[in-house]
Amino acid sequence: MTYALLSAGFLAVAVLGGVLFARAAGPARPVWGAVAIAGVALLVLTAVFDTLMIAAGLFTYEDGLVSGVRVGLAPVEDFAYPLAVAVALPALWVLLTRRQAVSAGALLRHAWVASRPVSWVNTAFPFAAAMLLTTREIDWLLVVGTLYYLVPYNLAMYGINDVFDYASDVQNPRKGGIEGALLPPEFHRPLLWLALASNVPFLIVLLAAGTPASALAIAVSTFALVAYSAPRLRFKERPVLDSLTSSAHFVTPAVVGLALAGARVDAGLVLTLAAFFIWGVAAHAFGAVQDIVPDREAGIGSIATAFGAARTVRLALVMWLVAGLLMLAVPWPGPLAAVIALLYLLNCAPFVRVTDADSARSNRAWRRFIWLNYLSGFLVTLILILFWSVSS
Amino acid sequence: MISFVYLACLLAGIGCMLLIDYRFRLFFWRDAAAATLVTLAGTAFLLLWDAAGIAAGIFLRGGSGIASGVVLAPELPLEEPVFLVFLVLCTMVLYTGAARLIAHRAERRAS
Repeated sequence: MTYALLSAGFLAVAVLGGVLFARAAGPARPVWGAVAIAGVALLVLTAVFDTLMIAAGLFTYEDGLVSGVRVGLAPVEDFAYPLAVAVALPALWVLLTRRQAVSAGALLRHAWVASRPVSWVNTAFPFAAAMLLTTREIDWLLVVGTLYYLVPYNLAMYGINDVFDYASDVQNPRKGGIEGALLPPEFHRPLLWLALASNVPFLIVLLAAGTPASALAIAVSTFALVAYSAPRLRFKERPVLDSLTSSAHFVTPAVVGLALAGARVDAGLVLTLAAFFIWGVAAHAFGAVQDIVPDREAGIGSIATAFGAARTVRLALVMWLVAGLLMLAVPWPGPLAAVIALLYLLNCAPFVRVTDADSARSNRAWRRFIWLNYLSGFLVTLILILFWSVSS
Repeated sequence: MISFVYLACLLAGIGCMLLIDYRFRLFFWRDAAAATLVTLAGTAFLLLWDAAGIAAGIFLRGGSGIASGVVLAPELPLEEPVFLVFLVLCTMVLYTGAARLIAHRAERRAS
């Protein structure tokens, strides 16, 4: 691709963005005279400083791909950069600061809470660990991917959830009720836009840098992200599919990391991923037990409302057992991870006979989960470090 | 030391833009959160543009003595994202400043 074509493409996207931002801003128009002044000033600055930077040897261009038309030393294609920012950014600024808009500060504060910072590591760690253990080096793709699964991914996952759960959360006293820490309706659309805008650039880079296998993994991961709580799909209200999707939220980042790194697929890897996935399904299923009564009252389905409390707990226990047994079959030091399954079995076994009416009691075990998850993460990290030294 | 001249120039440029911003309350000092979002969006867009250019083999890093030599990714020096932030800041200070001048002039004519 030539530089002219590349610049024309990005400039077109910027112009389109500017027009859409300006239209969305409604009566609060950008001051087009000021846009023109800024644009002309930037073009002059570009002619001067680009020439200086090129003269200093800071960067060069592949001769066959630039048109050769230059202003000073600056290739004419370079001038698309200042034009693009001058057209798009003032319109975005007007859109964000117009009087009718929710304040950007309040939006960012709600986005922070909605993204569940305590849980960021749960998706970033599987990605980073899977990729690092395969490539054995920290490169730019590892950094970009880890950042993605740390923040934007969680903002999309929990943000979509909070927006489309709003109606039922208002009815549920455990979620805080009408005056609780719910996302006010006027923030719903801005938050969804913020989630989209923060996810798309990362997904473009991850897709462009990967292989067909990693693209497939990203597609599955992104679909699970949206399908869990988006309207109509609402996998979170479909028994069994709810637990499978929830587990996929944490396992697919690891699969994406492995695929991007070009990991060799062997039996040990497949068993480990299977155990991780089954562990996640069990965790979600057990977590659904405490909400059986309010969910049934609200007419919301879940794996636990379908199977009943005692059967769901037993199912979860069996799955943790299976996950632990699978890890015993993984090459050393994999079997050490079976200890983790034991911790979950001990934590939840007391509720094996819990009744539906009494199911809210399982909240006690659920609270211990939070600490158990951190402990498990710690143990997994130790095992992975051991794996690193054994296999290098 | 000389290898950090370019980076130091960029940071000084950013500092100057922020001083103008602070003096006239144009951008970060008018709505810090909105300014943060605009800066992030602009920088991310321009970085994608750079990345596409690098992937297409158009941009090559020069061997300049005033560059730090630290690379974030193939052909992408540490200085590049700093430059892009500067470009966004410069654009927004120019725009918000020009818009302020135009509004003042309209007010004066009206009164």
